[in-house]
Amino acid sequence: MTELKALTREQLARAEQRLRHPAPGSRIEAAREYGIDMTLLIEQLRLTPAERARKLESASTAMERVRGVARKRS
Amino acid sequence: MQFESAVQLLCDAGVDFVVIGGVAATFHGSVRVTYDLDIYYSRVSSNVRRLVAALAPSHPRPRGFAEDLAFIWDEATLRNSAILTLRTDLGEIDLLAEVAGLGSYSEVKSHSLIVNAFDRQISTLDLRSLIVAKRAAGREKDLSALPELESLLEAGEE
Repeated sequence: MTELKALTREQLARAEQRLRHPAPGSRIEAAREYGIDMTLLIEQLRLTPAERARKLESASTAMERVRGVARKRS
Repeated sequence: MQFESAVQLLCDAGVDFVVIGGVAATFHGSVRVTYDLDIYYSRVSSNVRRLVAALAPSHPRPRGFAEDLAFIWDEATLRNSAILTLRTDLGEIDLLAEVAGLGSYSEVKSHSLIVNAFDRQISTLDLRSLIVAKRAAGREKDLSALPELESLLEAGEE
């Protein structure tokens, strides 16, 4: 089974180029028009999959805390 | 949601599963925050037994199930439900034995990647299959994830 690894420097450079300067008619251009912030994706792609997972756990925990406080107040 | 604890619990119990859904999307570079762990698991009897035993200490109950109703967490319950959306002490965990658009468990395994995360080696769905599953699911929250996932796919194409 293939391993999902962090992007190499070359892969990251290519991805960043495509995300910052999407080709006309591309899915990336459509997503940008839809409202996807490509700079956030670029930042995320700089991380390893393990770092992305850790970041998710922190964000999810923080958001759940906020939702809990909001529930108590309502 | 304690993703790390939940994943470690399942791995350490020897459960055969593939991470799908929002956590799989995160592995691939999605920035959307998800609050549940979705896993596609093998329905082989021994695996169902391991999965039931692994989650039992976390007191799983179906989400939205009235507190005063009895719920029995055992192999029969799991075998009789293709999809179980659970609330546990670790957070919300969705157990899926079937996923629209993805085919059998062995087919899903063949479209999976190994990822080192949460201090374990786990199987996760590849990005193409994840997009297929989201599209097949067809719910608003799944469809709204597609522009980001398709961008990641296009950005990473050779």
